[in-house]
Amino acid sequence: MLKLNEGSPGHWVIRIIWVAAVVAALVYIPTKTNTSTIGDIATATQLAIAAMSLNLLLGYSGVISIGHSAFFGIGGYTTAILVSEYGWTQGWTIYVAAALAFVVGCIVSLPALRLKGVYLALVTLALAVLFPTLVRWGKLAWLTNGAQGISGIGYEQTPTWYNDHFARWQFINESISLPELRGREGRAIFLYWVGILILAVCYLVCRGIVKSRVGRSLIAIRDNETAAAVMGISRAKTKALVFGTSAAMCAVGGCLYAIQSTLAEPNLRFFTLLGSITFLLIMVLGGAATLWGPIVGAFAYVILDTRTRQAGESGEGVIGWLFGWMTGSPATLVLAIVLLIIVFVAPFGIVGLLKRIAAKFIVIIPRPAGTAPLPVSALEEPAVAGSPI
Amino acid sequence: MTPRQSRLLAALAATSLLLAACSRGPEEGEEVDTTDGGTATTSADAGAAPTTTAETETTEASEDTAVETTTADTEGGETTEGGGGGGAEWTVSTDDCIDPDLANSPIEGTVSIGSSMPLSGGVAATAFGPVAEGFRAYIEYANEQGLLPEHEVSLNIGDDQYDAAQTPNVVNGLLDSGVNLFSGIIGTPNNDAVRAVLNEECVPQILALTGSPAWGEVADYPWTTGGLIPYNIEAEAYAQHIAEQFPDGATAALFTVANEFGEVYRTAFEAAAEEAGIEIVDAQTIEAADSAPPSAQLNSIAGNQPDVIMAVPLGAQCPTFMSELANAKAVQSGWDPQVYITNTCASPLILAVAGEAANGLITSASAGLQDVTNPEVAAADPDVQAYIDYMTNRGNADILSTATAGWNIGEVTVEILRQAAESPDGLTQASIINASRNFDYHPLLTREGVDYKMAGEEDAFYAEDIQIVQYDAATGFFTDIGDLITSFRSS
Repeated sequence: MLKLNEGSPGHWVIRIIWVAAVVAALVYIPTKTNTSTIGDIATATQLAIAAMSLNLLLGYSGVISIGHSAFFGIGGYTTAILVSEYGWTQGWTIYVAAALAFVVGCIVSLPALRLKGVYLALVTLALAVLFPTLVRWGKLAWLTNGAQGISGIGYEQTPTWYNDHFARWQFINESISLPELRGREGRAIFLYWVGILILAVCYLVCRGIVKSRVGRSLIAIRDNETAAAVMGISRAKTKALVFGTSAAMCAVGGCLYAIQSTLAEPNLRFFTLLGSITFLLIMVLGGAATLWGPIVGAFAYVILDTRTRQAGESGEGVIGWLFGWMTGSPATLVLAIVLLIIVFVAPFGIVGLLKRIAAKFIVIIPRPAGTAPLPVSALEEPAVAGSPI
Repeated sequence: MTPRQSRLLAALAATSLLLAACSRGPEEGEEVDTTDGGTATTSADAGAAPTTTAETETTEASEDTAVETTTADTEGGETTEGGGGGGAEWTVSTDDCIDPDLANSPIEGTVSIGSSMPLSGGVAATAFGPVAEGFRAYIEYANEQGLLPEHEVSLNIGDDQYDAAQTPNVVNGLLDSGVNLFSGIIGTPNNDAVRAVLNEECVPQILALTGSPAWGEVADYPWTTGGLIPYNIEAEAYAQHIAEQFPDGATAALFTVANEFGEVYRTAFEAAAEEAGIEIVDAQTIEAADSAPPSAQLNSIAGNQPDVIMAVPLGAQCPTFMSELANAKAVQSGWDPQVYITNTCASPLILAVAGEAANGLITSASAGLQDVTNPEVAAADPDVQAYIDYMTNRGNADILSTATAGWNIGEVTVEILRQAAESPDGLTQASIINASRNFDYHPLLTREGVDYKMAGEEDAFYAEDIQIVQYDAATGFFTDIGDLITSFRSS
């Protein structure tokens, strides 16, 4: 087993290899795969953003929310209304959606100050159930177009600034270059990069919060709320801030989802309660209370969902042999079974499982807070009286 | 979170997915004909069309059971006079296509048809699975019979789970795999979500299985055509019938599903009712996913005691609505409204679930299809009998009724391809849409007198003929009311 100190040259080499692998994968997808794969990955980034926002709330704060589909929907509908009614460019609507959802999130957080556990879950459940009904409501049809929803909100053409500056970037040589952006392929690649960029920003925001004083406050509130209050942590302020941030982040995912789908309507799966359940599932699948968990979970979910549906369509192979007795496609059943197996094999999520496997080969020894890197030898040999540790 | 909490959460979430997958659809053997993709199956029209396939000279039959294809001097299964020909009257422009050369290049060998339908994910999949199966069955049949000379036809149906947000990715995948056209995509928002991209790519999107009037926008979306009777026409036909039954004026209540389908229908009926002098005294809705009996809505309607109820429920909600209405009528003695129900509910098997409560309701024969489950119809029409035999041999005897919609779409699609192949341009994406928009054909399973016609911008819908029918709970079949209404034809 290889033991490395955090921040040591060896650790940096691993970090660089890891980052290089991620960048290579990110470049490979839009340059070497087809449009539908690019679209699937773009969808995964949107779900990752939503799951990440839920992770911030549930994973780190212990505040249960089953209402995140409403925030996702707020994002989608904000984009749809501003684009269709007011002629906004899609990109600018993201800021408005985030601000709006932040306010709604802060308001919704008020019950969270007095309610806990299942009672708080019920309040947020009401939000998830209320949202589709509200946008479908006849008296709001002037704004939301009622049950028909709003369509035609996707990009017709990718923005000029993108075409001029980024679209023709070449990586290594011409064979690995971003293609000329035209039609559906161009839009898919553009939305892919936008999704990756916003996902990266959301990751950094989450990382910043988790590793900051606010993050430590969150964990303290989660683990022992009374003790946290005694320590001088403002529960109201911290919960409202995190709930608002989480809602805003989720709404951004909803904006991208609506832009990619080119429509917003009340029956879209992720705007309903099923969306909240899916975000929760993704978070647990990837690994709750880990920064990478929601991202890994979202990619795993989208890949599994797509593959099971494709297998169900053909009804061939092992799936056909096992589930041929079913009259329809077994896709959802297979997906549920696979997900159940994964979470039972990896109770800490896929990231948790990978960490446990990696720990058998490499151990990164964390740097104690406020100290210089600890030499490995100091840990391997028993400390002698008077020796500096 | 502790491992135990994680497991509990995951188990709950996965169980929810399982429940969604296994949520109650119709019982075994019970067919649902729901929403804007379904096609009703009505009966009582024993005057079936002779069996003909357009311009086929030889009688052919597959080794097992085949739909006979004979030449006859009738218009059954035939390109009727003045139709077809691969688009002599109306031609599409390919100037604005992403790749004009591709749109005009000949399709050699296998013609690949794509579609997107709900194959998994809940009640919608249960309802529409048979449509997909009927579509597949006809394509197999067409290949066996060689109905498209020099070409093999392949069908790839993607699964969008009836979620419009998933349809673009499904369609992208099919485009990547090289499909030449799309046919029979189910759902208005689903078709809407891909209409722009398919028109931009100049890939034909024909026979959308929805009745939205939006599919008539030929100038803006020339590559998209609808496959069902527009909802506004159906609503207008009912309004006219109500006006005939109540010459002194009638009061009506609306009961619609709260989604795009119900909304379009409600708007159309309100407009038609105003013209017909019908006063709408109540309008109730039900959530699309709500399977509970609509007690509160029907109590409200019963309180207003309208003369008629126009109902547009979804799938399994159809019999639930009828049963709950029977309860409401029992409470309000002396109140016995005439019920009109969307033809997406008009499946004999689903109405049988409501039993006597469904007796006497009025609906229509969607897309002009006959009720293939009625033995009288099968006995009188060799095409219907051959269809039943073919599907039975294929192991699809339990879905005969709903599968007619898919079979019918398959037949019309192949006929469009055949006409396009015979056009001077040969088989290209452009000639397919040209043939599609200059079309005149009588499908084999439709009633006598029903023709699918389309003529460029003048007539943007195939199916516009309506036969009003009444359900008889005792026999389980429908009875025609009046003659086939052809006055809605655009051309």
